[in-house]
Amino acid sequence: MKTKEDFPSINERTPEGHAPDGSAFRVLVVDDSMFVAKQITQILTSEGYDVVGQAADGLQGLERYKELYPGVDLVTMDITMPNMDGLTALAKIIEFDKNAKVIMISALGKQDLVKQALLTGAKNYIVKPLDRKKVLERISHVLSK
Amino acid sequence: MRVEYINPFVESAFNVMKEVLQCDVKRGELYLKSTSMPVMGVAAIVGLAGDVEGRVLFDMDKPTALNIASAMNNEEIATMDDLAKATITELANMITGQAVTKLHELGFKFDLTPPAIFTGDNMEISNQDVEALIVPMETPHGKVEINVAIRERA
Repeated sequence: MKTKEDFPSINERTPEGHAPDGSAFRVLVVDDSMFVAKQITQILTSEGYDVVGQAADGLQGLERYKELYPGVDLVTMDITMPNMDGLTALAKIIEFDKNAKVIMISALGKQDLVKQALLTGAKNYIVKPLDRKKVLERISHVLSK
Repeated sequence: MRVEYINPFVESAFNVMKEVLQCDVKRGELYLKSTSMPVMGVAAIVGLAGDVEGRVLFDMDKPTALNIASAMNNEEIATMDDLAKATITELANMITGQAVTKLHELGFKFDLTPPAIFTGDNMEISNQDVEALIVPMETPHGKVEINVAIRERA
């Protein structure tokens, strides 16, 4: 998808993916769909985020989080995945690190699960189809808090 | 088959394809089939089970699947590799997700299976005891047929 935002801006602007000290925010992407993982990674890296890890199911995601900790600032978590679903992985990540910032990625039609995730401690959610603006807005909002 | 089941799929296929492909989508004439029918070459299937049961098939030929996968990834994809399959699967996922939200609002309760994708030549699909309604959708990338066979649980 080509949008104006894909072109470099001539105005000086700090990329959203950078923390105030100039270092890149570190993101772990947990999704069983290769397509969605790639899409999120592309959107984030284009804005200066550093995707430090990818995992294809909740169990791998949890393990990767523990390996990377504390070198990870945010997790994007799919809900429906094999082996361990996103809700269980979310709960286990929060049990391990109560300050973890996790954003749920959901298809439409899973409102109940999204609500449950927010109650469990997810900081926000994004409904697919993903668009660049929506993804960046939600993520930078969560990281600014 | 009741038309309440099909409309949400048609609407959401229309909306999702328009959004992710950034192009015009035209709906063709619906038709009904009660015998077996050919599958074009790439088919993503999602099963439904609950108050209603059946399946939805997103059927297209291989060039169309590759065109769609290329458009959604913003890069040329020349073979039905893992990324192409994951992309078509995700398209099916998004369309069914949106349709199911509407059906749940109408009071139908059921679960979905994760999509599976079939590729190959000379495939056919048949349904015993349930007729399939087919909605062709025309896009600049090619034709996608949405093939819905759903019935109320006896």
